[in-house]
Amino acid sequence: MMKWLLPLCASVWLAGCSDQNWRTKDISEVMPALDFELIDEHGKPVDEEAYFGKTTLLYFGYTHCPDVCPTTLARLAKATRQLDDEVRDKVQVLFVSVDPARDTPEVLAQYTDVFGPQFIGLSGEASDLDALANRFRISYGYGEEDAEGNYDVNHSSAVFAFNPAGEARLLIRDNDPLEAVVSDIDRLVAKG
Amino acid sequence: MNRVHRNCAMGMLALLMGTGAAQAAEIEVSDARLRLLPGDLPGAGYFVLHNNSDDIVTLSGAESAAFESVEMHVSMEQDGMAKMHSIDGVDVPAGEQFAFAPSGHHLMFMQRTQSLSVGDEVEVVLDFEGEESLSVSFEVVSPVSQ
Repeated sequence: MMKWLLPLCASVWLAGCSDQNWRTKDISEVMPALDFELIDEHGKPVDEEAYFGKTTLLYFGYTHCPDVCPTTLARLAKATRQLDDEVRDKVQVLFVSVDPARDTPEVLAQYTDVFGPQFIGLSGEASDLDALANRFRISYGYGEEDAEGNYDVNHSSAVFAFNPAGEARLLIRDNDPLEAVVSDIDRLVAKG
Repeated sequence: MNRVHRNCAMGMLALLMGTGAAQAAEIEVSDARLRLLPGDLPGAGYFVLHNNSDDIVTLSGAESAAFESVEMHVSMEQDGMAKMHSIDGVDVPAGEQFAFAPSGHHLMFMQRTQSLSVGDEVEVVLDFEGEESLSVSFEVVSPVSQ
C-alpha cells in the first residue's frame, strides 16, 4: 500500500501546484531561477541580472546546426511577431551556444541578427556552460570530427521561459502548437 | 513478361526517352529551398521528391557547385535531446512522395564556394541509384521567411 501512496500523493500535490491555465508546461515549482556567468555577443562577461526586467526565453544550441536550431529559433521569431508591439518589446530570447569553440561572440552576433533584435547570443567557458546546463537538467555532447573538422553537437530541444525576475515559469517544446506558445508568452508577459 | 525481358524493355525505354534531358520525367522535385545562415555556416536543403514511376527510387546523394560538400541528414529527438545523423540513401516507393522538411530529413550544405544571398537560385544535383541524376534549382531562403 505504501508503494503507491507516495507517487499518488506526489501527483496530487503536483497537480494542485501547477496552474491549469498555461498551455505549455508549467515548471515554476520544479525548476530554479536563472543563474549564469557567460559571455555576450560583444565579448563581455554577463550574468543573469543583465537580463532581468524582461520575459526571457532560453534555448541551448549551436550555430553550425543546420536544421533544428534555426527551425526552433524561427518558430520563436514567428511566435513573437504575433504579439502586440509593446508585448514583444518585453520579450528576449537568449540563445546559449554549447559550442564555444566555433561560436565566438562575432559569430553569435551575426547569427542572432537573422532571427530578430530580441535574440541575444551567449556562450562561455565549458565549466560555466555545464553549470547552467546542469542547473536546468539538460545535457549536450559533441559528435566525432570529420576530416574537415566538422562535428555535430547533441543538445536539449527545450525552450525555458522565465519571468522578468528570472524565475522559471514554462517549458516550451517543439510539439507545442504555435498558438499555445504565443498565448503563453503573452500571458507570461502580463502575469509574470 | 519475365524479369529479363522486362529489364530489357525498361532499358530500351530509358534510351528512347533520351539521355540528354536534364530531367528524369518519372522523378520530380517540388518546393526546393536552401535555408541560408550567415557567414560560412552550413545550410539546410528541403524539398519534396515525387516518385511517379512504377519502381522504388533511391535517392543516394547530392552535389552542388556552390558548396564543397552536401550530405543527407535526418534530425531526431530522443529523450528531449536534439540529434542528427547522416544517411546514405532514402527509398521512395513507387507512386509516393517523400518530403525533406524542417526537423526531419534535410540536405546539409557545407563550406560554400561562392557567396550566396536570399533570393538566389542554387543548382543542386540529386543522385539516384540506377537512375539519371536530376538537376534541381533550389531557392535560397531565410530561416525567418517560412
